Amino acid sequence: MKLIDIKNLTFEYFRRDAEGNLEEMIEALRDVSIDVKQGEFVAIVGRNGSGKSTLAKHINALLIPSEGEIVVDGLDTAEEELRLSIRKSAGMVFQNPDNQIVGNLVEEDVAFGPENLGIPTADIWNRVEESLDTVEMQSYRQASPNHLSGGQKQRVAIAGVLAMEPKCIIFDEATSMLDPQGREQIIFAARQLQKRKNITILFITHHMDEVIWADRVFVMEEGAVVAQGTPKQIFEQRELLERCGLRIPVMYEYINFLLGQGIIAAEELQNVYGEEDLIALICHKVKRNLENGQASNETKQLLNESIYRKNETENKKSETARDGILLNHVNYIYNHGFANETVGLRDVTLQIHKGEFVAIIGETGSGKSTLMQHSNGLYLPTEGNVYFEGSDIADRDFAMKNLRQKVGLVFQNPENQLFAETVEKDVCFGPENMDISRVEAQKRAYEAIRLVGLPDTIYDLSPLQLSGGQKRRVAIAGILAMQPDYLVLDEPTAGLDPASAIELLDLLKELQLKTGITIVMVSHNLVEVAEYADRVVVMSDGSKILDGATKDILCQVGKLEQAGLLVPVGIKMLYSLKQVGFDVDVTKTKQMDICGELLKLKEIFSC
Amino acid sequence: MRDMTIGQFYNVDSVIHRLDPRVKIIFALVYVTALFLDKNPVLFGVALAVLALYIKLSEVPVKFIFRGVRALYIFILLTGLMNLLTVKGANTIFEWQFIRITEAGVSAAIYTSLRLFFMIIGSSMMTYTTTPNALTDGLEKMLGWMKKCKVPVHEFAMIMSIALRFVPVLVEELDKIMKAQMARGIDFKEGNLFVRMRKLVPILIPLFVSATKRSNELALAMDARCYHGGEGRTKMKPLCYQRRDYIAYGLIFLYIIAVIVLTILF
Repeated sequence: MKLIDIKNLTFEYFRRDAEGNLEEMIEALRDVSIDVKQGEFVAIVGRNGSGKSTLAKHINALLIPSEGEIVVDGLDTAEEELRLSIRKSAGMVFQNPDNQIVGNLVEEDVAFGPENLGIPTADIWNRVEESLDTVEMQSYRQASPNHLSGGQKQRVAIAGVLAMEPKCIIFDEATSMLDPQGREQIIFAARQLQKRKNITILFITHHMDEVIWADRVFVMEEGAVVAQGTPKQIFEQRELLERCGLRIPVMYEYINFLLGQGIIAAEELQNVYGEEDLIALICHKVKRNLENGQASNETKQLLNESIYRKNETENKKSETARDGILLNHVNYIYNHGFANETVGLRDVTLQIHKGEFVAIIGETGSGKSTLMQHSNGLYLPTEGNVYFEGSDIADRDFAMKNLRQKVGLVFQNPENQLFAETVEKDVCFGPENMDISRVEAQKRAYEAIRLVGLPDTIYDLSPLQLSGGQKRRVAIAGILAMQPDYLVLDEPTAGLDPASAIELLDLLKELQLKTGITIVMVSHNLVEVAEYADRVVVMSDGSKILDGATKDILCQVGKLEQAGLLVPVGIKMLYSLKQVGFDVDVTKTKQMDICGELLKLKEIFSC
Repeated sequence: MRDMTIGQFYNVDSVIHRLDPRVKIIFALVYVTALFLDKNPVLFGVALAVLALYIKLSEVPVKFIFRGVRALYIFILLTGLMNLLTVKGANTIFEWQFIRITEAGVSAAIYTSLRLFFMIIGSSMMTYTTTPNALTDGLEKMLGWMKKCKVPVHEFAMIMSIALRFVPVLVEELDKIMKAQMARGIDFKEGNLFVRMRKLVPILIPLFVSATKRSNELALAMDARCYHGGEGRTKMKPLCYQRRDYIAYGLIFLYIIAVIVLTILF
């Protein structure tokens, strides 16, 4: 049975200037036809601005088609008196966890929907109870939403929709503002709802690895559906996806590689869905081969070489207090001296050297943002010292202004701090605070804008006119214009679509190599860290638990998982291969190098 | 800025927390009115005692309460100072050039500051012990009769509830924006008043943009959850009075009597 039937949907809106004159007509959706059966899990993917969210908002009658029609559960969305019934059967979870929670307590928020529907009080209590149980948030029912993590807030939002007993739930980029744990929670919840309660799921995202579990995937670009099929069919169309600003899941990159090299065969992949399945498949194959003693002596010898390579001596940099930023036994306590005091950092000693690309990783709440804000004196340690190039920043005569200029801090979603009427003025803001002449400030601003790869035509535009990726670059240019020696960034790629994220990271790497600027990146995306960072610092519960070269840290899979981090599939694959007795170099972290290691599999399978 | 706890709910389960919000609203009104009835030390002593008892019963830590109103101390001090300098009476205590402080001025300063202080603490106790939703539910129900005169009581209540829900969110955002601009070299402690005012622009514009964006998204989310005004809406927690609420009303009544008697006596 068709639950959602979209026929030739076109949606256009007019943009007007300040005087109300027509500026342009924007065609947000063009001739979209999609039908979804009851109980299906359908994913809609596309880059930012591809029209996927606009489509979602049509399904529960928040927007009405300009042309074409949408029938949801037998009801036409264009009919005004049906709207409440449509919204009741097609609930929606939005992108920003904060901006959709109405209630001041978790349970009151979940009750909001049923209250609007006029459900009797006793039934509301039952529904709240049941919905919170389903998303496993029962123990937080009396909590204030402000004290929840992003993933928990989104689960509350799901419960709020569930309490209206919908037939279909639309996840409108509901994972894009979450950390990896939060994202896993939401995907898990969505799959459970589909399996256990037969609720139709419409999952809208730009992260392809989230759609592995979907029954069908629709790819959108410029308001139109450009491809559809099962996830596997879609992942085969790598070029098309790249043109649409998307990236196939990392796991499928490996699958394609392994298939291409003939290490695995297509029919073996029938039951492979998640990463665990793939790793299990390969390990199983390897084990069988090793037991049969098929690996020739020659190959074994070849494999052994990698062990020697690992023992290469590293030339450790000599640590001097004059160099870089040094945090010396830093403790930081929030609300120090009050009943609600919480530990932010525990005895952290960390040196950041000039010119490196350091990643600080850890789960949300592990202290990485607190740590970052110690680097330029926004926080001063409760105990311990922070030295900048040899001087204690807590000293009375320490030039804080100089520190703020030398250590540029880019907060999460920095585009939210743009305020000036033009890009040029905004980028000039930092340098102008540095007491330099206006002309010099402008010169620096121009250089910075060029450094982040934006065209000169952008100077006079309002920041509000730019795309998300451009805004972020402008914000980073605003920091670079102060000509810092250190650039500290908090989750620089959060919320960007895959293509913009890679562009930004490439840019940071280029800055590091070309200008010698030190990059400190706070992140919980280990795939990015593995590709770009020279050194990794792992934080857990306010303490530094690991610190070293990327290759030495990321292979410690057990410790990383204990710290609540999601280890990239490639690294896990090498680790598991090593576990079953196949000799690979587990210190490889970059995708290309991992593929190189996987090539060794070819040799044992081919003979 | 994070220290501004005024208006926030403090989540413990005390006798006061369990009272019907209407009782607490009426108490706050009675309490504030009583403060302005008369200036006499006994009355203020009683007011202090009642407030102390109220805080004790509410189990909200005293430290938390005082920290919450810290930002308002300057306001109270300024008001006191204005009174001290402008209220003129007969007995001059101190005179220097154009400044003349009289006994009446001193007493006005003390009473006004105390009043303000008690008023702020007394009314913020209401918000510490009542969830904003319960508070607006209470107001909505108390003012329900005004709906007959086409006053959009439900809408006002909803606006208030949402505003309170977003206070902590926006405070956190403000904190973040301030830090981000500090990282861009702005120094809030530098310059004269005019210069400092201008430094608020890079803070307030992003905050305003974000608040607008949030309100748009929230409106959409509320639409999606079938919100269509107060009509036909039911409640998860409908208000109905319990025994403890009647007892509380009794106590409030006693307090009113006491205040009247004291005002007449002294």
